[in-house]
Amino acid sequence: MDMTAQATLPGTSAAAREDAVARFIAAEKRRQQQRLIRNRLLAIGFGLLVIAIWYVATEYGFVHRLIIPSPVDTFWATGRVMSADYFWPNVGVTLSEIAWGFGIGLTSGVVFGVLVAMFDTVRATLYPYLVALQAPPKIVLAPIFVTWFGFDQPSKIAVAVVMSFFPMFLNTLTGLSSVDPNAVKLMRSLTAGRWKTFRHLLLPNALPIMMAGVKLCWTLAVLGVIVGEFVGASAGIGYLIYAMNFQLDIAGVFSLIILLSVFTLVIYQLIEWLESRIIFWKQL
Amino acid sequence: MGLIEGTGLDKVYSTATGPLVALTNVSFTINEGEFISLVGPSGCGKSTLLSILGGLEQKTDGDLVLAGQHHDAPRRDIGMMFQTSVLFPWRTIRQNVRLPGEILGLDRKQQAERTDELLDLVGLNGFGDRYPSELSGGMRQRVALARLLAHDPRVLLMDEPFGALDEFTRETMNVELLRIWEKTGKTVVFVTHNIGEAVFLSDRIFVMTPRPGRLEGIVEVDLPRPRTTEVMRDPRYTEHVYDIRRMLGVDH
Repeated sequence: MDMTAQATLPGTSAAAREDAVARFIAAEKRRQQQRLIRNRLLAIGFGLLVIAIWYVATEYGFVHRLIIPSPVDTFWATGRVMSADYFWPNVGVTLSEIAWGFGIGLTSGVVFGVLVAMFDTVRATLYPYLVALQAPPKIVLAPIFVTWFGFDQPSKIAVAVVMSFFPMFLNTLTGLSSVDPNAVKLMRSLTAGRWKTFRHLLLPNALPIMMAGVKLCWTLAVLGVIVGEFVGASAGIGYLIYAMNFQLDIAGVFSLIILLSVFTLVIYQLIEWLESRIIFWKQL
Repeated sequence: MGLIEGTGLDKVYSTATGPLVALTNVSFTINEGEFISLVGPSGCGKSTLLSILGGLEQKTDGDLVLAGQHHDAPRRDIGMMFQTSVLFPWRTIRQNVRLPGEILGLDRKQQAERTDELLDLVGLNGFGDRYPSELSGGMRQRVALARLLAHDPRVLLMDEPFGALDEFTRETMNVELLRIWEKTGKTVVFVTHNIGEAVFLSDRIFVMTPRPGRLEGIVEVDLPRPRTTEVMRDPRYTEHVYDIRRMLGVDH
């Protein structure tokens, strides 16, 4: 091998060639790093540009402050809102609504998804109705739920549940159904019953699609709670946004929207981290 | 009395456009320890016959007896292997090989030892803790082969197991399979559409033709064992390939 390489590349010693390879790899690494830094700078630069445009447009009177508050106003409003004594109790109300809505929506979605996927009778009985129920936008239920469950937390939880149930249900069902037919044959040939097939094949196989459902489920649970609070509430972030908007405290509204976004994103990232742990084999 | 006896097997599927005859009047005997290949073009019913032998599908008519018993359901003394490796990506190589043992509730300690032996046998020593996505296609089929043997089945049913591999890897796998078969003495039913592969591997070849799926004839392979790729230079090898081509009507 070495001999032929020597023959085709006269005058290059093994050491010289190794050196060339090492230099090439080092240069390639440097290029990769430079590309990474460039991409980061581009993203950060764009964000700064948007804030700058926002600043100029609002501070120099191109847009009225009552329509869009300036970044500076929003910054101070965030401090004001977070240190106000009414803030944290309202946060607590909304957080517990989201937690219950997400928890119940997720659990019921998984349970119904598993039942419909695994039992033909359940599928035949319930599936047409579950699909029909999925069609109308669930937000229309918010006013009815306020009538049924009152101004307190249960009506918000109910909206969050109906909104977050369907993605979890459908993704569980899809995940359990999209399986390699040969894998099912393998399990059958090993005389595995329904439960063993579920535990060893169908469930782990469904997890990637189910985790995508969890992320949707989370976003929709937050949305459901806030919408529920808009429609009729006496406490919560949605209620605060509604009230501040009414008082034309737009900077306050902006700060609440930003805080809510940050919170949703942090939990979303947490779910993504969990996902990478649970379905570790997708990263391999 | 053979290990597996099929008499007048029929298989009909009911489809939207009417009944589809997949197998008609198929009769055969397979002896213990024999290497049988099912050869034929797509639609000749070879995979259907294999599914029926595995107890995964029901015959429409006829008699199927395995080890003296009527046979119509999956059995733990039968193992199946497919064209795709069907390894579970969330399990390591070792855990994949241990799947049959877990499903069948076999002794854990024995299975752990057996897994190491099998990984050795298929030449994957040292890969036990890797994941399937880290292995090449040929290596994955080796793992599938080890898993096939994990619960020590008496009959191995293989559905085009090397059909998706490149020519070189397939040839290596054929040699390996013969080595393992000679060592273990299993009864093998091997589906392929590659005539050369069938001649190289088998004791007898069931030649099947389509529309409707029939057993056209059985070829006894007259080549010495143990076989190496050398047998492909044997005039009898070429003759068998030619005979089967003629039976299948693929001569032009």
